[in-house]
This record gives sequence, structure tokens and C-alpha cells, in this order.
Amino acid sequence: MSALSAHVLEEIKELPARFPQPRSAVMPALDLAQEELGHLTPEAMSEVAEALELDPGYVEGVATFYSLFHLSPVGKHHFYICTNLSCSIKGSGEIVERFKQAAGVGEPDAVSADGLFSYQEVECLGACEFAPMLRLDQRYHYDLTPEKIDALVAESRGLLPIHGEVPAKPAEGLVAKKPRAPRKKKADG
Amino acid sequence: MAELRGSSGDAPHHVLTRWFGTPDLHTLDVYESKAGGYKALRKALFDMAPADITNEVKTSGLRGRGGAGFATGVKWSFINRDAPGPKYVVVNADESEPGTAKDRYILENSPHMVVEGILIAAYAVGANQAWVYIRGEYDVPRRMLAEAIEEARAKGYIGASPMGKDYPLDIQLYRGHGAYICGEETALLESLEGKRAQPRSRPPFPAVKGAWGRPTLLNNVETLATVPAILNIGGAEYAKLGTQKSPGTRLLTVSGNVRKPGVYEVELGKTFRHVIMELAGGPPEGRKVKVFWPGGSSAPVLPESMLDVTTDMEALAAARSMGGSGGVIVMDDTHCVVEAAHRLLQFYAHESCGKCTPCRVGQDWAVRTYERILSNQGSQVELDILQRVSDGLQNGRCLCGLGDSGGWVIDSTMRHFRNEYEDHALRHQCNVGKVAAHA
Repeated sequence: MSALSAHVLEEIKELPARFPQPRSAVMPALDLAQEELGHLTPEAMSEVAEALELDPGYVEGVATFYSLFHLSPVGKHHFYICTNLSCSIKGSGEIVERFKQAAGVGEPDAVSADGLFSYQEVECLGACEFAPMLRLDQRYHYDLTPEKIDALVAESRGLLPIHGEVPAKPAEGLVAKKPRAPRKKKADG
Repeated sequence: MAELRGSSGDAPHHVLTRWFGTPDLHTLDVYESKAGGYKALRKALFDMAPADITNEVKTSGLRGRGGAGFATGVKWSFINRDAPGPKYVVVNADESEPGTAKDRYILENSPHMVVEGILIAAYAVGANQAWVYIRGEYDVPRRMLAEAIEEARAKGYIGASPMGKDYPLDIQLYRGHGAYICGEETALLESLEGKRAQPRSRPPFPAVKGAWGRPTLLNNVETLATVPAILNIGGAEYAKLGTQKSPGTRLLTVSGNVRKPGVYEVELGKTFRHVIMELAGGPPEGRKVKVFWPGGSSAPVLPESMLDVTTDMEALAAARSMGGSGGVIVMDDTHCVVEAAHRLLQFYAHESCGKCTPCRVGQDWAVRTYERILSNQGSQVELDILQRVSDGLQNGRCLCGLGDSGGWVIDSTMRHFRNEYEDHALRHQCNVGKVAAHA
């Protein structure tokens, strides 16, 4: 049985036609795989490679280079906490500690026992005027305090209503939507 | 729309942010009806020859706002418009220089301004296709830009004959996946091509052989967002702002220990004292500015005594720093410079792509040396090592600027704050309060 479902693999096979050269499809394809599985397993990367007619080692090489690809399981709510200079000056160290306590997570990339939470300390997320800040479920959260962390964790557990705007829809496709001529299939494809 | 923390509204020097704060400015309708949007594109397509557009940008003296500050019009003229085959405009929206949030500020407030700038640039250099490489964490800006592109497409401003002009123009988005190095233009191209983002050696330059081996113009978001204003008011008028060699305005992101952090549009040539003490309100009550990074974490630091240095690139170069990405990080006297340098070297070590040995090994070596110093195991030996590693990272020993950047952090903090380094390394003490709190 394959790691990725048939419709995801079909979608992946359609990606290369959107680019001047098919190799550019590798990251959007890994996105689709990660969206389905939560993280990239060796099997998933091999299937992406096969679908794109690339070497599995090559695909894994790309996946391991970029920090938004997860190579091990993450929690349902993964906190990207900025700890670069502008945020650390404003107390991101305290924010990380509070998150670990509130969510029951011991260290970066570990998942809480209930499977809900994980985090990583990330480099600058480009919202320095709102430091300290973090990214969660495709939204930025600003002017963090320990109390705000408690509230975010509680909201994520479903204990508090999510306030503010509706979370962003999952990024879809992430590239061109314009239909283009399908790529010629190789004879052995 | 996110809360506006920075410049907006009418002011003599508000070229980019003049209409920021207008309700629904992010929609095509408001951008066009209230902010005079897409007038510049119309002018470019119907009243100007492509070479005239490039000349107008040259006249404005606009310099790239991504970091290097290269003359934008000159860069445009490097693309051979008549060369056969596809040419591309690639937009660097991978903003990730620590302390920099201005491209996000633009994209969240006025995405159509960016779209309009891209279309004008593409027409000027003879490209039909533009790609925006936007960092993966920018979920909201990406969505807003995608919506703006779709609106412009639906309105007929993007497509086979934009505004009726027989010249196809298209914009596509490409999402990055978290790698600082992608801000470097050739690493960005590698990433766009589906590879690990490792910088290319140059020549060939992207203008000759860029994305997918084709001639490519690479510009930063803010640079392109400035282009519509230049066509609207004229290059000569734009050049009256700022200094002679650094004309115009730019967005400075002021963060750290200031009372009013924000993204401020500043006429180049104003002092950092104006930016930090007036616009951003200065440090919190009872504290003093100790040090600031004038152009992102990669720009060599300047001490408080140099607050009167001006924001133009020449003055910054004379002060042995640079304008970089315009990220002004302010740190007050309750923070330790050695701790801050350690944090930044961790960053450069983490983000080194691993292609060049001095950067791959040097940044890591620096981190380990800082660790020894900060855990009271330092001595003169560690100070000498830091100096040697710093030298090894700089002066063209690496393919791109990431190596230099780490070296500059070490070098500039040691130059201006030698006493703090000696306190830690030689006397095993820190004389700055509140240090351990944010280790």
C-alpha cells in the first residue's frame, strides 16, 4: 500500500506542467505530501520522487534543506516561535518556556502526549514590529505575553473559542492555477 | 488587514505609504479609484517605449531595496530585450533578514502596488512571465497577493492583452519553504528550479542566465512597489527626495527596545537619531540606546555615539556599515552585546547552506567559541579565535554574502564593544544587567 493516496499522487503528477522545467514541481509536490501525512516519511518522499520521475535521494536532499518540511511527526498545532534577535530582545525566551509548560512539550520537535502540540524555535518571521511573535496554523500572533500563550494553547485545545479572524484556509496548490497543456508523458512513464 | 504599525497617510515624503491605511486599499477597486492605481501601468503600456521606462527608472536613481543597493534602472538595462526566447522577472519576496518586515508591510497593505510594479518591469525588460518567490511563512501576504493577481487577471490587466495592449503578461507565485539563503538571488533561482538553495558562482549573472537558464531580472518587493510612483511623478521628481547618491525614500523596520516599533517610510539622508528617537519613540523609560543594527542583522553594528549617522548608503559605508535591508534593530543598555552576537552567529550557522567551507565551518566554529566565552571558559585565546574566524568569513572567501554577514557581526561588535567581550572572556563576568534572562 502506498503512503500517499491515489488522488494526491495524481495531483503531484500534474504539477510539472505548470513550470518551465518539471523539476520546479518538487517543493509543491512535497507540500501536498506533507499536507496529507503531516510530515514527510521516507516512503512518501520516494513516492513523490517516482511520481516526478526524480531520484529519491534528490527529493530527500531537497526536503532536508528547508525548515518548513517536517521529517518527523509534529503535533496537530505546531508553534513556530521566533527567537531571533528582535524577538529575543523582547523576551521570546520566556515565551518558549511558557509554551513548553502550557502545552506539555519537552523540547523542539517533540510532540505532546495528547498529540496536539509541538514547536520549533525559528529564525526571523518578518513581523519584527510586533515582537515577540509566532506563527501557528497559518496565522501570525503578535505582542506575545505568557498569558497570550496560555490562551493560544487553550484555544487550540478547544477550551476557548478562537477569537479574531477565521484562520486562513490551507494554502492550496501554492502555484499557478492556470491550466496549461499537460506535459508529454514519457513512453515508460 | 493587520494592524498598521508604521507610516501611512499624507506626508511630503510618503511615496510608498501615502495611501496605506485607506480602508480596503488591498482591493483593485480602491487601489484604482482612491490611490490612482494602475495609471502608471497604462502610461507604461501606451505612452512609453520600453527603453523610456527603464530610462525613467535610471533617472530616479532608485537603488535596490533588498540589500545590495544596486541601481535598479541599470539592472533593468542589463536584460537584452531583443534576445529571442523567454525572459523572466523574478520577484524576491523571501524577506527573511532578521529585523526586516517592510515587504510584508507592503504586501499586506497594498498588494496591487506590487502587482503594478511587476507588470511595468516585465514590459520594460521584455519579459512576459513573472514569478514571485514568496517565503513560506507569509501565509496572509501570499493569499493577499494571490487575490490581487486574480483580481487584476479578471479585470484584464494581466493576460494575453493587458489593458488591450498586444503584449502578454502573467504573474505566478512560488512558495518558499524556510531558508534564509533564498534571499540571495542566485540561491533563490536554484530554489525556484526545485533544488537545494545554494548560491551560484557568477558570472554568468542572472541577467544573462537566470531562472531556468534564461535572462532574468531579479528585484525586491519594495523596489518594484516604488516603480509605479516613479512613473507617476517622474524620475526627476523622485530623485529630488533623499540624497544625490541615495535618492528617494525607503521603508525602515524599527524593532527591539523602542517604544513605537514599526515600519517607517524615511527620506534617505535623515539621521538614525530621527528614526530611532523620534519616529520610533526611543528606548523605554529610564533606559539608553546601546547599539543598533542599521540595515538588518547583517549590517555591522553602530554604537549609540553614532546615532547621527544618516540613512543614505554613502554615510553608512563611511561608518563601516551598510543600509542593507533597512531593518533597524535597537538594543538598550540592559542587554549584553556578546549574547546578541552569539544569537546571531547561531542564526548564520543554522542558515549556512553548506556550499562554501569558510561559511559552513566558520560560523559553527564561532558559535562554539561564543559558547565557551559565555560559559566562563573563555580566555584571550577565544578572543583571538573569534577575530580569526571573522577574518576568514569575509572579503570574498565565500560565494555569497552570508559568510561575510557572520563575520561582520563578530567584527563590528568586537570593534565597538571590546570591553564587553573582555569582561566575559578574560574576567568571566557580565557587567550588563538582565543578561541571563534571555540567554
